[in-house]
Formats: sequence, structure tokens, C-alpha cells
Amino acid sequence: MQRGFFVDLNRCTGCRACVAACRNWKGINLSLRQVYTEADYYLSLACNHCENPECFRVCPQRTYSKRRDGIVLHNSGRCTGCNRCVRSCPFTAPRYNPTTGKIEKCDLCVERIDNGIAPACVEACPVKALQVLELDAEKDFGVKWVPGLAGIQMTRPNIRFNIPGARERHLLL
Amino acid sequence: MRTRLCRHVCPRNCYNTCGLISMVEGDTIVKLYGDPAHGYSRGHLCRLGYSYLEIFNHPDRVLYPLKQEPRGSGNWRRISWTEALEQIAVYMLDLAAKYGSMLPVCIYNNSGDIGLLHRAWNWLARAMGRVTTATGNICMAAGLDALAYGFGTYTQPDPIDMAKARYLLLWGANPAWTAVHQMEYINRAREKGARLVVIDPVFTATASQADLYIQIRPGSDGALAAGIAWHLWQNGLIDNSYLSRNVVGWEAWQDYLAGLNLEELSAATGVSPELMARLAEEYATNTPAAIWLGLGLQRHVNGGQNVRTISALAAMTGNLGREGGGVYYPSLEYFNIFTTDWPEWMAPEDELRKFPIYDLAGALQRLQDPPVKMALIAGANPVVQNADSEALQRSLAAMELVVVSDLFLTSTARLADIFLPATTFLEHWDVVPSYWHRWIGVNEPAVPPRGECRSDLMTAASLAEMLNQKNPGVCPFPTGRSEEVWLAQLFNQEVYRLLGINHYRELLLGPRKLKLPANPWAGGQFATPSGCYELYSRRAEKDGLPSLPVYQPPAASTGPYPYRLLTTHTRDGLNSQFYNIADVPEPVAYISRDLARQKQLQNGTLVRLYNEWGEIIVPVEIKEMLPPRTVLCHQRPLPGGQSLNSLVPPLATDMGTITCGGPNLAYYDIFVNITPA
Repeated sequence: MQRGFFVDLNRCTGCRACVAACRNWKGINLSLRQVYTEADYYLSLACNHCENPECFRVCPQRTYSKRRDGIVLHNSGRCTGCNRCVRSCPFTAPRYNPTTGKIEKCDLCVERIDNGIAPACVEACPVKALQVLELDAEKDFGVKWVPGLAGIQMTRPNIRFNIPGARERHLLL
Repeated sequence: MRTRLCRHVCPRNCYNTCGLISMVEGDTIVKLYGDPAHGYSRGHLCRLGYSYLEIFNHPDRVLYPLKQEPRGSGNWRRISWTEALEQIAVYMLDLAAKYGSMLPVCIYNNSGDIGLLHRAWNWLARAMGRVTTATGNICMAAGLDALAYGFGTYTQPDPIDMAKARYLLLWGANPAWTAVHQMEYINRAREKGARLVVIDPVFTATASQADLYIQIRPGSDGALAAGIAWHLWQNGLIDNSYLSRNVVGWEAWQDYLAGLNLEELSAATGVSPELMARLAEEYATNTPAAIWLGLGLQRHVNGGQNVRTISALAAMTGNLGREGGGVYYPSLEYFNIFTTDWPEWMAPEDELRKFPIYDLAGALQRLQDPPVKMALIAGANPVVQNADSEALQRSLAAMELVVVSDLFLTSTARLADIFLPATTFLEHWDVVPSYWHRWIGVNEPAVPPRGECRSDLMTAASLAEMLNQKNPGVCPFPTGRSEEVWLAQLFNQEVYRLLGINHYRELLLGPRKLKLPANPWAGGQFATPSGCYELYSRRAEKDGLPSLPVYQPPAASTGPYPYRLLTTHTRDGLNSQFYNIADVPEPVAYISRDLARQKQLQNGTLVRLYNEWGEIIVPVEIKEMLPPRTVLCHQRPLPGGQSLNSLVPPLATDMGTITCGGPNLAYYDIFVNITPA
């Protein structure tokens, strides 16, 4: 079973409560989640807890680990702030914290997950657009890629999307 | 160390009025969450709610009274409260001695904090009687009057009941960005198969989710409604029995509809007659159908008439009183049930000298016998939010004393002589009704005020105390009362009955919902002279307005200023608040690809937006699907001492006097020109 995020593009309003909730929960002055504006939907992205994470591969200090449940964790102890992971992640998940000189990355609120509650962003979302994804071999759902997301072939991110339904739009005559 | 949980209600000028809980260890707020006991916001907040600790702890928060000498120099020094209040009180009393009353004092307060105890500045004005204040409401007055002509007095159905609609017509409303928790109820309806239709000149976040999005020319909403009405009538989609029993003026309005030219309406709106017919068919046949009248469509000189015409559609189809259906617009009824008037110490309302709020700048300059010499501004940032920023700055510069009370040194505060630091909701008591939903919560302080900050109520009381110290009995405003004692005064038997409680402190266990009928119009009883919904309003006629919901066009551009400037609300802040936290985007003017090509502009080019009232310099960004000849700049403060509203003249909407004491600002009926800077 692999954990990641499920983003319902049908519901996301781009309100950025998830971004603010993350900052609020983590108590650091940078958010580990961002919301990107596409043509007619919003992409809320944090860390995709990839199957084959680049951060893990390139870190010279081996600060990254991947739990059995798929969560990719960063241990800041040995982190020197070299930024190799920042430059390698296709999804800009690791972020440099200038105050500590180290990297921060979404950890799927692992201490909340391990206590049976949802990550801060998921709980915050006013429209239930974010869910924790639990993928296993038999159960895959949603789509794996949408325009606006970087290429997924290399790292195989554990993120899935529900794409918006049919919409009818009439612009001015 | 003691850990406590405290209850709060967000007091911003926002539809959602969410509940919050703070976790306090000793005297430190360690966490802030959504209150799960709040039945409307259900434990959720928005981006701004989650940013409150950042605001509370912000390094720019002013914690002590300040004096600026000379005014506008940026040379602020700390003074004591006694010094500050003495200077203000002595000056006020000198003015009274010189001019025979305190009419030269202007007290200006707006929606920076909509909690009831924050009306203290207005109460102070009433205590003194002869002072100068604003009347009206810059935001929602036209729509409210329009609905008052139709309904008598207007209250909206329970917005949670949108979940029961089969058809949701969001007309000029963008809840995805400005009322995000309402999306939950809209989504519940959609999960059951309801259809979401959005009409808006701008392709908003809400529009992107609609099953059907219809773009419309700004301000032409009344024409579209008239077109839909024509189709409802011609295609037999009206509820004749409802019309004959509950509506006055249908025959007269039919004559108007009969004279409509659909091609003209189509040209005015940019919507085809076929689409109008489809909207009529869908609206009439998907029952119950709810219309949400957004605030945007009434920010035009024809705003009230737009609202009357759209609301008429609900009357024609019998949707007014349906559970899950009806007409939604913000109203002030849940504020009005509280006691906020104390004739024992307040002078009658008409003793105040009032000027129309939309012309603050002009009034300060023009009023005579006596002129205005002092401005006291609290819970408001009019240089950013009101009209004609440049004239307002000149008006304030001409004042002999300017006092501003706020959390931060806003653009308005920078023009003051004396700054009085205010508390956030985490530091004071209040009760905050909503202008949208029926949940009432009490807000208790989590911690004592930071520094020497005082709540608006305590500041007003301190000023009253100082005035009385200098001149005993001059100000009957009650002093020596705690915030909680004041809070208790707001509650009355009717409020307790509607909430099902015996004491306001019960609300500390959780907010409660007012026990009111889901749709106030279900019984077909309207508070009009006829007892019916009035399509034909004699009252409107007497007030110099069209008696019927007839289409009147919005303002049009003139030669030198061909582009309409839309300054719609955004998710990034709330009016002028929250722009000093992290993660705020840069200001930008959105233009169409055509306009960019025409003026040879690219993304990031700095441009001058200007008209005869002022100018600003901002970068542009190309945005698809904008209406032609339209520039979109989201409403917000600008850096570098600029103000978006320096482009906004004191242009009033068509109505607003009966419900709000004056019309609101036609913010979306302004025009500019654009050149590379």
C-alpha cells in the first residue's frame, strides 16, 4: 500500500487554504504545498511521495528514506542544504529554508497519519478536494497525469487526479 | 502550564463568518483551528483564517499609541495612552468651544471588524449627538434596497438549504474565492444531480466549475433577466397561480416585456436569444431553483434595477418561497435582532450630521457651518477602500487633527497625527452575527491584549472618560464597564429565544443557529404594503425610481477613457487586510491578448492606468476570456503609496437609501485608459 495525495480537480477552487494550513501546522514560514493556476482548474501540489524519488537518489548525505507505506521522509539531521534535491525534483517538493539552512519537504503529516488523523492540508480543504491516497496493486484509480504536472515517467509519483466533468461555456457574442 | 481552549468568530466582512478555536498555553496562543462545533463552517477555515497567528504576531503590528510629527513624515514616536487621549479630547473640546458643537469632528468607521462591539465608535458618536458621521454602505446598498422594494424587508433563505436545490444560478457571485464554505453546500446539491450555472463577465474559479457558464457584458444583467423573463412568459413557463395570489404588478410588467426587443437585449448583454430561452427553460423546469445575486452586479449605476429584474424571475416562477429555492443576497437581519441602541444615553439618530459615505472625500472638504476639522477613523482604511483616494488624501491633509485606530500603519494611518493600536479578535470579547448564515458565536479573548493595544470599545470608552475628565458630563457614553458587561447588553429576550439559550455564555460551549424558518417567504407573506411581492412598487416610484423592474443600462465609457476597469474581489486578501503576510502575489492588471497587441504590451510590462481622477502604475498580464475593452485588477492595496481607488470617482448606484441610509459605490462603472509607463 502506497500513500500519496488524491486531488479532485472538479472541486478545487484554488482558495489556497491548504497552503496556509500547512504553514500554520508546521509553524515554519514557508509552505510545503503550492497551488498552481491552469487554464480552468487548479493544481494543489505538495510532495508526491514518488515510487522512485529523485531526492532520495541524489542526496549526498542520504537524508531521505521511504517508509513501507510510501511516505518519503527527509531527516534534516545530516542535511547540509546543498540543494541537490531541490534542483532534481520535477515537482519542486523539497524547499530550502533560509532560516535553518536546511531543506523542508512535505512528509504527508506523518505524525498525524500515524495517529489516525488526516494531514493538515486535507483537513483544511473546505471542499474536500484533497484526500490521502492509498494505492495498492489491485486498486488504482483516477488519472496519473494532467497538464500542468511535470513528467511522471521517471519518478512515478503517487498522486492521482479526478478530472473535471463536461462543462459548457458561452463567451460573449 | 495551563492549556486552555478558547472560542472565536472571525469578524471579517465575509460571507462565511467562521468559528475558530485557539489553544492557549499560559499566555501564548500555540495553535488556531476551525471550530468543529460551528454548524456552517464545520471546523474549516480559509487561507486567511489559517494566517491569523501570523497577523497576531506580525512584526509590523503597532503595540503602543504613536504620534507622527510632522504628519506624513513617517516620523512616529511612541506616546502614552494618557497623552494620546488628552490631546484628542482637549482638541475636541476646543473645537466645541470654538464652533458651539462637536460637528467639526468626523467619526468614520467601516467594516474592518463587523463584530457588534466594534460599533462602539458609532455609539460614541450617538452619545455626543452633534458630530459628523457617514451614512450609507459602500458595498451592498443597491441590492438590498432593490429587494426591499420587492419583498418589503428582505432576509435570505438559509444558505445551507442550497444543498436542496436542483438548479443553482449563481449570478455575479464567485463563492469559490469569496465565500468558499458555501461551495460545500453547492457541492452537496451537485452530488444529488443539481445543475450549477454561473453568469459572470469574468471567467472566475466558480465559473470554471459550472456545468454551464455564461459570460455577460458587465452591468447588463438586468437586460439578460428581462430577456429570460420574456421567454418565461412567452413559453408558458410562469406560475400563474403564484402570480395571481402573491405578486402585485404582473400585468403592468407584461406590458413592459411585450415591448422588449430581443435583438437589442442580445446586443446589450452579449448573450444570444437562444441561450436566454434555454436559461428560461432550465430555470423554470428544474425545481427548486435558487438564484444567488452576487454583489458585483449591483456595483453599477443600474445595480438596484439589475437586482429587481433578476429577483422578478423567482416571482414569475413561484420560486421565491420554495425550500431549496428562492433568492439569495446578503442581509443585515441577524445583526438587527441584537440590542445596539440605548436611548438612555444616546442622542436621537437625526442629531448626527450625516454625509453620504461614498463621498467621504468631498464631504470633508465641502461641509460648512461648521466645517470638519478633525477626522477620527477606526476599523476602516478609506484611502484604499473608499472612492477618490487622491481627493481623500487632500481632505485629510486639510484636517487639523487626524486620529486613526487600527492594527497596522495602513495607507490611511500614514496620514494621521495620532495612531491608536487596536486588538485582534484573539484579544477581546465580541459577538459576531453573519450577513449570510444563521449561526451566532461569541468571541472570547484567548490572551490579554498585546502591548498596550485596546479594543475599539475600550478605546472609545477611554476617550469618553478623558472627555468627561476635562469637561464633566460632556459625553454620556458609559465608562468603567468591562467588555463582557457590554456584551451582555447586546443580548435580549428575542435573541435568547431564537438561539434557545438563557445566557450568552452558553455560546462559549459552541455557536448556535438562530431558529428561523428555512425560507422566510414560504408562506407567501411579504412585508410590503400590499402583502404581496411587488413587481410594481409604488414605494420605488415615490422614491424617484422606476416603478417596475425595467432595464437601465450601466455607465458607458467616454472617448478619452475607453476601458472599463473591473476591481473584483480575490482570494488573496479581504478588502485591504492580509496583504502583509507571506505568500501574497504581486499586483497585476489583466488585459486581453487583443489589447496587449494593440498597445504593444507583454506580460510584465509596466503600464499607467489613468483617468481624470488619478493614475496607478502596475505590470500587466495577458488573460484569456476577458470581456472586450475591459481591464481586470483585483481589489487590493497597492505598494508605493498608490491606490487602486484613486481611479474610482464618488459615483453612486441607483438606490440604497431605504435600507442603508444611502447608495453604494458603482465601483465597476469606472473607465480608464492605458499606456506603457
